[in-house]
Amino acid sequence: MPENLWQQCLNRLQDELPAQQFNTWLRPLQAEIDGDSLLLFAPNRFILDWVRQRHLENIQRHLGELSDGMLSADLRVGKASHPLPVATAATASKPKAEARKPTPISSAATIPSPRPPASGGQQRGSNINPDFTFDNFVEGKSNQLGRAAALQVALNPGHAYNPLFIYGGTGLGKTHLMHAIGNQIQLQRRDARIIYIHSEKFVADMVKGLQHNTINEFKRHYRSVDALLIDDIQFFAGKERSQEEFFHTFNALLEGHQQVILTSDKYPKEVEGLEERLKSRFSSGLTVAIEPAELETRVAILMRKAQQAEIDLPHEVAFFIAKRIRSNIRELEGALRRVIANAHFTGSAITLDFAKEALSDLLALQAKQVTMENIQKTVAEYYKIRINDLLSKRRNRSIARPRQMAMALSKELTNHSLPEVGEAFGGRDHTTVLHACRKIAELRESDQKIGEDYANLIRTLTS
Amino acid sequence: MSKASGGVQLPLGLALRDGFGLDNFHPGANAQALHAVREAQLPFIYLWGAYGSGRSHLLQAAVGAESAPALYLPLAEARDYGPEMLEGLEEMALLALDDIEQVAGERPWEEALFHLYNRLHLAGGRLLVAADRAPVNLPLLIPDLRTRLSHGVTLQLQTLDDDGLAAALQLRAAQRGLELGDEVASYLLRRAPRDSHALFELLERLDQASWEQKRRLTVPFVRGLLDTPEH
Repeated sequence: MPENLWQQCLNRLQDELPAQQFNTWLRPLQAEIDGDSLLLFAPNRFILDWVRQRHLENIQRHLGELSDGMLSADLRVGKASHPLPVATAATASKPKAEARKPTPISSAATIPSPRPPASGGQQRGSNINPDFTFDNFVEGKSNQLGRAAALQVALNPGHAYNPLFIYGGTGLGKTHLMHAIGNQIQLQRRDARIIYIHSEKFVADMVKGLQHNTINEFKRHYRSVDALLIDDIQFFAGKERSQEEFFHTFNALLEGHQQVILTSDKYPKEVEGLEERLKSRFSSGLTVAIEPAELETRVAILMRKAQQAEIDLPHEVAFFIAKRIRSNIRELEGALRRVIANAHFTGSAITLDFAKEALSDLLALQAKQVTMENIQKTVAEYYKIRINDLLSKRRNRSIARPRQMAMALSKELTNHSLPEVGEAFGGRDHTTVLHACRKIAELRESDQKIGEDYANLIRTLTS
Repeated sequence: MSKASGGVQLPLGLALRDGFGLDNFHPGANAQALHAVREAQLPFIYLWGAYGSGRSHLLQAAVGAESAPALYLPLAEARDYGPEMLEGLEEMALLALDDIEQVAGERPWEEALFHLYNRLHLAGGRLLVAADRAPVNLPLLIPDLRTRLSHGVTLQLQTLDDDGLAAALQLRAAQRGLELGDEVASYLLRRAPRDSHALFELLERLDQASWEQKRRLTVPFVRGLLDTPEH
């Protein structure tokens, strides 16, 4: 039977080769029978060349023997449309289908991961992830402007704000908002053509278009959509030809009142390696920032994730994790996943003590990351003053404000008590620290500059 | 590309005959990691620990147990090939990237890993990453990569203590049909470097000698062999 020929061939190769070679070069191959050829698909050109140079002769020999000279191997890059099944030692006793079937406990052990998109109402190839909606986006002070703008755009695509440019640090929910817009537009207009792509894919498609002389199709494709959602445009940096192409695509879409939504880690003008004309075009619609989530929002996010995973997460545990992990939502989720995995493994209920134990190694590493010394150094550099000024008794505003900022950041980013923070800032009283924290909280609302300073410093200290 | 002809080397240049399976991994304090890898339910596991803590073993065992296309990539070696090596790997049902610290701090590699992570995520493939340190301690240039590497279940692997090493050695010996008594195992631990790589390599040598000389593994036989310099 030709079906298990490749299996037999693999078995022989596995016996002959060191495990690592086998796992690196032969396990990724997919096989498919095409007439008297066994097509072997490698994921990329590099693996194909390697297999051709080092293993093809052996493969041909085994295949020849196993098929009485009927079959010979032919290498390709890509994937098989009807791959031959491969069994492994493990699958022999535990069929994959069964292994994949989640038991009640293990299904609960995983926070649902974004699934391959385009199931329900989504158009084929849109890449819009149905799991990211406005309904399950946890709103807080840090993201409410972004959410409101996104919703406006979703309700009135092409007309409200075009382009919508969402920027902020990594792991704060930009991509979630982007998909939420896509889902909402699709909900309103089932036939709307929406494409979500990462900037890398746009570049890759363009390069492919140039190589295969299909650049006009590429242009038509991207210019025919109702909404184009491009993530992480900072990765256009330095890619001039792509920027040029994107500039024209962008203009064509805007002229046709087709919606463009972009995300980046920085404000458009601050993205390095981007042409000026693109920067200015990107700023021509609405630009909104997503800030790191504050404590209440982080708690709410954890509770929401736990609920999605059907896990009973006590509020105090969510509070504990959220208090310790501040920088971004991915790390927050990573910590929750760890607690859930431990609970699944030990069969224990999730209590505060259990969570502390489960996260002890992770938190010990986190705590090492941001120290008060580091905060003082970073703040001093940011405001171009000396660390000694921060610790001194001087009270003029150019020193006092940065000092208050550094104290507020120490309270937010470390686990030190107020008296400890006071002590580290030239032996000040804890009420002074408390005052500083309140003052900065108040100024962040009323003074845009202070708000930006705070966000920038948090980003620098936690990234 | 030109460097590709250098050949893939196993750690310490030795092809271990018995390979890396889930059933010859002695868990010691790493039972949770073994369980997580065996269950194959989690979309992303990040394993970190010292040399000899079993990172590479678990990664290769996971690839071996996967029936759909899977790939084990030791970045310590792949870095010679260039980041193009990561193209198309999102087609894998399971991707195991070892020694990720080896390319941390190299922008082209970090960017390629970042994009690969996104593509794999979109395609729904599973990811296993191993390193000598936790994501937070990798000297990464791209913060977006760090948050992604922190998104999975991160587990620290512990190196085996002496009892664990002896048990791991006996487990491997038994799978080779070789009888390794407690006394001989503890003798080996007193005499040989106490790390799993060196010990498993030594076991390979003992196995060969025992087969060639038709001798059982006894303390005098092992002592004689250890005193003979390796050719």
